[in-house]
Amino acid sequence: MIEQRPGLSITTIALLVVIFLQIPVIIVVLASFSETSYLTIPPQGWTLKWFEAVFTSSNYLAAIKNSLILAVGATVISLVLGVAASYALFRKMLPGSEALTSLLMSPLIIPSVVIGVALLQYFTLVGLRGGFLVLLIAHVVITVPYIVRSALASLSGIDLSVEEAARCLGANGFTTFRLMTLPLIKPGLVAGALFSFVTSMENVPVTIFLAGPRETTLPILIFTSVEMGVDPSVAAVSTILIIATVAVLFVAERWTGFHRFV
Amino acid sequence: MSQMRTGLLLFSPLLLVLVGAFVIPLILLAPTSFQEYQPGAGIAAGSFTLENYIRIVADDYYREVVVRTLGLGVAVTLACLLLGYPVAYLIVRGNPRWRLALTLLVIFPLMLNLVVRSFGWIVLLTNRGVVNNLLIDLGVIETPLKLMFNLTGVMIGLTHIYLPFMVLMLVAALQNVPRDVESAAATLGSSRLHVFRAVTLPLTAPGIIAGSILVFVLTISALVTPRMLGGPTYQVMATLIYDEYMQLLDWPSGSALSFSLALVTILIIWMSSRMTKRWAGLA
Repeated sequence: MIEQRPGLSITTIALLVVIFLQIPVIIVVLASFSETSYLTIPPQGWTLKWFEAVFTSSNYLAAIKNSLILAVGATVISLVLGVAASYALFRKMLPGSEALTSLLMSPLIIPSVVIGVALLQYFTLVGLRGGFLVLLIAHVVITVPYIVRSALASLSGIDLSVEEAARCLGANGFTTFRLMTLPLIKPGLVAGALFSFVTSMENVPVTIFLAGPRETTLPILIFTSVEMGVDPSVAAVSTILIIATVAVLFVAERWTGFHRFV
Repeated sequence: MSQMRTGLLLFSPLLLVLVGAFVIPLILLAPTSFQEYQPGAGIAAGSFTLENYIRIVADDYYREVVVRTLGLGVAVTLACLLLGYPVAYLIVRGNPRWRLALTLLVIFPLMLNLVVRSFGWIVLLTNRGVVNNLLIDLGVIETPLKLMFNLTGVMIGLTHIYLPFMVLMLVAALQNVPRDVESAAATLGSSRLHVFRAVTLPLTAPGIIAGSILVFVLTISALVTPRMLGGPTYQVMATLIYDEYMQLLDWPSGSALSFSLALVTILIIWMSSRMTKRWAGLA
């Protein structure tokens, strides 16, 4: 039998592409520790002053806080609403479950910028413009498909007889779900929640139309500040995000074997 | 019927949120797109016009932006396919010990904040950026190359950002190709290239199409990277929508453009899902 293995040229090209994928990350980290405000290779001198600028800037701190509250809030609400709805779909409790599933997934199909302008116009019309609640609702809309997708995928792997056994032993519907079903779908839900968190955390196209000056999130702050040119404090706050991403990915991989869910 | 009641109880909270904060807002975008915009005064009440849609194909500037957006979609998709296939092939067919590390290196940029990734390219590509400095120091060029606020910058940025999606789709497709089939072809005397062309490539076609459609749709709807690397002058549809709503306050034009963009993405996804269903029926 002749094994088909990638040859040297394919391997080289593939590895170069994987390096290409990491280049902006490496550059951002270097820029954030570099003395000069424009990064040179090799960097001329090292400094932590850009990080100090981030941690002493009330703008950055407020934006980081807003982003975290929004991402955690939207993910928790999406988890509760999304898992409940997915469970109803999975157990075929409602007619037309295929159409209902498409409805829940449709925020992924519509371009985010279109969702953003539609919500801007709508909330202006009903007089709800600005404010944290509006942002939270919008983020639930854009994050809930990730929860539904992972919940439905995990639920479809469950043996229904497990639930039936629990019911036979006298557990009610909710107890059965909490003690039998939920632990079985937990790894998938952790992955879904992570996607939801990341999606909320990086969203610009919806947030930028809805956030007032007091609700500015971190990506919005970076997005608008680069229009004034390259500021090394942006590199510093980016490095913080990079470290956080690596840490979260590492924990998620250890915890749930995250790469299987992507 | 108690099951139906439980179902409604479980489903309706999310349904309410989606109908109230997604479906109705999108529908309400439609009337605006048929209204007249009067500079300075805003939307003319009670007016009806098709002008906002006609302009998208008839006006030179709008047509340029639409053609550029769709062209970028095709170019970025092809670039992702060409760059992504070797990576997916190495992940699936290469040394199993590398698999996890390579997969995580592909997922990592995907999980990283989009704004951060685009910012990284700005540091690299700007006039006094890393690439230009390096080339000047090496004596390759004397004056900085224009790598940003044009096709080059947007193309590099978008390809970098959507490449992981393509790789992951191709990995899934390649995993479904039985190794035996490739080995059989090779045993029967096919060259490596011929095995790839005659066996591997056709068998991964569904994955190639799925990945291409995903990348194309994501590219034509992208706002952040085209604005950060293309600047305010190199416009695509999403950035033009953004400017029409936020700067020009021409909501009728903006909503007509939004509807057109959404329609293109929905049509493409609908056609592709019909295509895959037909294929699945044949298999």
